[in-house]
Amino acid sequence: MNHPLRILYHMVKADFLERVRRYSFLVILAGALFLAYCVATEKLWVVVADGYRGVYNSAWIGMLMAICCSTFLSLCGFYIVKNSIERDSATRVGRILAATPMRKEFYTVAKTVSNFAVLACMVLVLMAAAVAMQWLRPEVRPISLWKLWSPFLLMALPSMFVTGSLALLFETLPVLRGGVGNVIYFFVWSFGLVGGVVSGFDDPAGIRILAISMRQAMERINPGGGKNAGFSLTIAGVRATRTFLWNGVDWTLHDVAWRLMWVAVGFGVALLASVFFHRFDPVRESVRENKEEKRNMTVDDPALVQEPRQPKPEHTTLTPLGQRGHSRFARLVLSELSLMVKGLRWWWYVVAVGLLVAEFASPTREAREGVLLVAWIWPILLWSQMGCRESRYATQSLIFSAERVVYRQLAALWTAGVLVALVTGAGTGLRLLASSDWQAVAAWLAGALFIPSLALALGVWSGSSKFFEALYTVWWYVGPLHHLPSLDFVGGSRASSSPGLYLILAAALLLASCLGRRRQVAYA
Amino acid sequence: MKLTIDRVSKRYDAHTLALEDFSLELGSGVLGLLGPNGAGKTTLMSILATITRPTSGAIRWNGTDLAADPNAIRSVLGYLPQDFGVYPNLDAVEFLEYLAAVKGLDSATARRRIDELLNLVNLTDVRKRPLGGYSGGMRQRIGIAQALLNDPRLLIVDEPTAGLDPEERVRFRNLLSDLSGERIVILSTHIVSDVEATATDIALISQGRLVRHAAPEDLLAAVEGKVWEWVVPSSELNAAKQKFLISNSARRSDGVHVRLLSSQPPPATSPVAPTLEDAYLFCLSAHRAGVTA
Repeated sequence: MNHPLRILYHMVKADFLERVRRYSFLVILAGALFLAYCVATEKLWVVVADGYRGVYNSAWIGMLMAICCSTFLSLCGFYIVKNSIERDSATRVGRILAATPMRKEFYTVAKTVSNFAVLACMVLVLMAAAVAMQWLRPEVRPISLWKLWSPFLLMALPSMFVTGSLALLFETLPVLRGGVGNVIYFFVWSFGLVGGVVSGFDDPAGIRILAISMRQAMERINPGGGKNAGFSLTIAGVRATRTFLWNGVDWTLHDVAWRLMWVAVGFGVALLASVFFHRFDPVRESVRENKEEKRNMTVDDPALVQEPRQPKPEHTTLTPLGQRGHSRFARLVLSELSLMVKGLRWWWYVVAVGLLVAEFASPTREAREGVLLVAWIWPILLWSQMGCRESRYATQSLIFSAERVVYRQLAALWTAGVLVALVTGAGTGLRLLASSDWQAVAAWLAGALFIPSLALALGVWSGSSKFFEALYTVWWYVGPLHHLPSLDFVGGSRASSSPGLYLILAAALLLASCLGRRRQVAYA
Repeated sequence: MKLTIDRVSKRYDAHTLALEDFSLELGSGVLGLLGPNGAGKTTLMSILATITRPTSGAIRWNGTDLAADPNAIRSVLGYLPQDFGVYPNLDAVEFLEYLAAVKGLDSATARRRIDELLNLVNLTDVRKRPLGGYSGGMRQRIGIAQALLNDPRLLIVDEPTAGLDPEERVRFRNLLSDLSGERIVILSTHIVSDVEATATDIALISQGRLVRHAAPEDLLAAVEGKVWEWVVPSSELNAAKQKFLISNSARRSDGVHVRLLSSQPPPATSPVAPTLEDAYLFCLSAHRAGVTA
């Protein structure tokens, strides 16, 4: 009997097994273990107001690691699992599924559960690591499994479910399916984290519940001090100087219900995704749908695929090519550039030109600290194609059998990427040159070289545009936008810019790209 | 012009040996590489196209070792892989212009050559349509055009007629024959009729090994007098299949007309002229029997 739950189980199982048997799953697990390591070695910690941190008991360790899950993993995990429909599409398994009586709602719920299963695997690894961690850090020896694991179960897992469902929703919405969605999710995620604290409602990560519980604990040891209690997950910030005893959240039925509500929200999102799901209709499953492409993708329309007929030539000969020169680099750069911008809509150029004009029109300081930042996030989807376009469109065998492909084609691609940065940031660059602020010019140039180098290296090594889109957005937000020293690759202010560092990094990334491409080509 | 494949092996993992001690020496003409699915044809094509490194052995182009100078072969290579993608937003001309640039052709030469090739593969009328809107057969023809961009001396085509309609298939076979004069063309396929129409030489490959390398006439001569037609009742067809190697069967009003390969035919059979398909099946069957023994 084909009971729906049995079908669901087998769909989730097949999808899950397909994912866990991939090399990328090991990378995911390694990432989860690295998180655990960061917590254990205090590279990552939580500080409550007035420099307090909790005593490392089961509750504190469980909370610390669960908060890592529901914050970091809800960001990284999204990019990791946002490929379940894409994979069914690429492997053509989707078309087989589409020809079965399976309902769209069923498919999207199954894929959401499958996304969740992959993310839950990481949570399980961290749950095991939490036990080891308390055993290794004996500030408080008795291990209470409920206190240690309840934050994972009630905070991290619902958060992972929401993440899995959002990943699926983004995949089904044509506008969010590609790089735009990858960038937008970062801002959705940021809003989700602070949303709970600001609005007073429970947030997907469960931070509000934790913040309330800690405020109460602080109030007990320092009456009145609880009002100032904050909550910050810190990577390299101020270390806590004092400790306080926190025995965990006293989970009430109300709290548990709030957390389970997020699972219901996840199911709701999955059902919403089914509305937009294309059910592997070849006309609708194009990666970047737009009106023009839709028209082009109607390959079953006989009028469009009617193959032209011409009289057969009597005998075929090809005209000889003659001597070929070796100085065709500029032409290749132009070809790469043209390929990069191909398919962009008119409004993309309007915004890019608008930003360029704003760079010229704004005072130098505003141009450097504000407009340039936007001008250098705008072409993110152009840069993110670098180095991975061949694997995305399966053209490796055509490209990699060409002469001197590693250095010639890769150098042309990098040059095209740098040209994009130089042109989009030209307004600021020329203003800086005119003002003879050589340190600022160096920072601008370093940024223009660093961004495409980063894109190329990540594209070549990951074979996907997602990694760059996610990392660059986060880096851009944390570093340049907040002028964080050493992370500001744009060099938005004199204090935060480090042109030397980014020139070196650009060179190292370019070298890494060459090594990566050599690895892909049998004879480099 | 000489391509030497010298004791080439390719092992993917402990259990998968895709090619084993494969040796072949080729001059100009069309080599039909025939073999069943999974025989190692695509692996060999990929190695010859410098996409995959062999585990052992050497490939030499006019005496130059591929491992020492891969560009020696790449500069004269045209390769049509079995599976390949296209950039869906580019039209045919833009896609070919891009690949021409990657292959080092200058603009003027590339433009001339692209016009010529689009006409040759019958895509001139749709040259400005984005490739995302092409049918499978049209994409395959773009693949053929890109393989000919640099006027290759060595043309490697892996299952080139997959997805082509019968008319285009005949057209492509003629194209291959016409182009083979001063080139080495390697045509890998499991469709015997494609090879029958174009190949000047045939290499049979099975389980990663070279089974036979001969002219089509020699292969046919090997099965001369071993192909028979036999009319059997439908009820005895399964028994006949168990007993003999059958290359074809057709139901008629007087029973099933079976085409069988055997040195010792059953009574009441009549001899028929062998085809390349008979020769192919006979050689493979003999090879498998030898391997099993």
